[in-house]
Amino acid sequence: MLITNEVPDDSGHEDPGHPERPDRLVAVRDGLSDLGLGDELVTIPARSATRLELLRVHQGAYLDELGAFCYEGGGDIDEDTYATYDSWPLAQLAAGAGLAVVDELTRRGTGVGFVAVRPPGHHALADRAMGFCLLNNVAVTAAALRAAGERVLVVDWDVHHGNGTQSIFWNDPDVLYVSTHQWPLFPGSGVPSEVGGLAAIDGIVNLPLPAGATGDVVARALEEVAAPVIDAFAPTWVLISAGFDGHRDDPMADFALSSGDFAHLATWAAGLAPAPGRLAVFLEGGYDLGALRHSVAATLSAVLGDATASEAPTNGGPGADQIGRTQRERASTLTLVMEQRAAEEAS
Amino acid sequence: MSTHPRTIAVGFDGSPDAIGACSWAMATGRYLDAHLVLVHARGLLDRYERRDPRGLLGGVVADLAARHAFDPTRLSWHVGDGDACSVLLRCGAAPVFADLVVVGSRGRDEHAGMLIGSTSLQLAERSPIPVVIVPSATSAPY
Repeated sequence: MLITNEVPDDSGHEDPGHPERPDRLVAVRDGLSDLGLGDELVTIPARSATRLELLRVHQGAYLDELGAFCYEGGGDIDEDTYATYDSWPLAQLAAGAGLAVVDELTRRGTGVGFVAVRPPGHHALADRAMGFCLLNNVAVTAAALRAAGERVLVVDWDVHHGNGTQSIFWNDPDVLYVSTHQWPLFPGSGVPSEVGGLAAIDGIVNLPLPAGATGDVVARALEEVAAPVIDAFAPTWVLISAGFDGHRDDPMADFALSSGDFAHLATWAAGLAPAPGRLAVFLEGGYDLGALRHSVAATLSAVLGDATASEAPTNGGPGADQIGRTQRERASTLTLVMEQRAAEEAS
Repeated sequence: MSTHPRTIAVGFDGSPDAIGACSWAMATGRYLDAHLVLVHARGLLDRYERRDPRGLLGGVVADLAARHAFDPTRLSWHVGDGDACSVLLRCGAAPVFADLVVVGSRGRDEHAGMLIGSTSLQLAERSPIPVVIVPSATSAPY
């Protein structure tokens, strides 16, 4: 069973010519339709995140500033990111969708969640919009789960590093953030030596890979570097920041993934959920509409345990040598940071 | 380590403050006989629209070099993917290998009202190499 949010009319959050556009959710809905789920697809009403729910991850002054900016008509927030008059209510709905989906999963105790929202969220910082993102949707849900006593794993396979999510949970021992991403690339963060703050050492696992990376390399990085950390963390919930801009047809970056690779990654991530009803997939990037449609269908098919036809998985790309360097850089940083923590505790 | 900078990186986004920073870096670089690297942070839309800062801003830089009698053969560009702060923080390492980084007080996206923008402030806090923040021409004296 797939539980997803009702998509509101998001046509008001648009900047002509901008790649983060309403057609993206049309492609996502088409991908959902391709699955032909029938009664196995449950659509729940959208709801806005409350101010208190947003305050778990965002600063109040930033929420006030963003809301006021939108009500005054919006404009360019930075070189990449825009907001319109309608963006504030739509961003609140995007942030609330994950909360509603997780509530429904909890009530039913079964199923997989799919949070189909825009604007995306994983670049949004506590006090700043960035990289097309206004509010950090996956972080709002992770923080709500954390407040309920859960241990939350966020797996982010968007081709860009989720600097906002990393920053928000930098020092939180109850949230583990794992990211595969192209590097160097926007936003410039996400190197292996970023391992979390002193209160949450090893709470961040960054797996940067070069342009041209294929699905086998991404999967190997997750298996060899992230899997042992995830096992030790023992998550009670798994949230996926599912960006599909790592697809080979996407214009925003240079990974060489296929929809079949996303299916493989989704199967792997679904296997990390400790029980039924504890996995939710959040839409992040993905700007080629055809690739987005097919990758969404392949991903959701995989998490539901089905094998809908998708493109063949890819292999043979560069990046295998980077995995060893990542292991070594993480190990040496962890040693240093643990020594630093021991010194601070001793003093 | 040399006693004075041999390679100066200057954050350059074409904003008035960046032009001020570039002017300062050219005047200083000429005096020190240093190489100047114009560092441009490439954002999501820069990449999507395949913008090349050398084409868009090259004329401005050529005018500045002429005004400051800075040898254009000692100028080069580095376009790095990321936000301005993260790209400038990497300037001390390959491929730029700068000894000094120069920025204006506020970047193109940073609104007036604060004396120093967040990029300059973060850079000053976190940079592994020395940082010069060139005040905006419109900063009130105090």
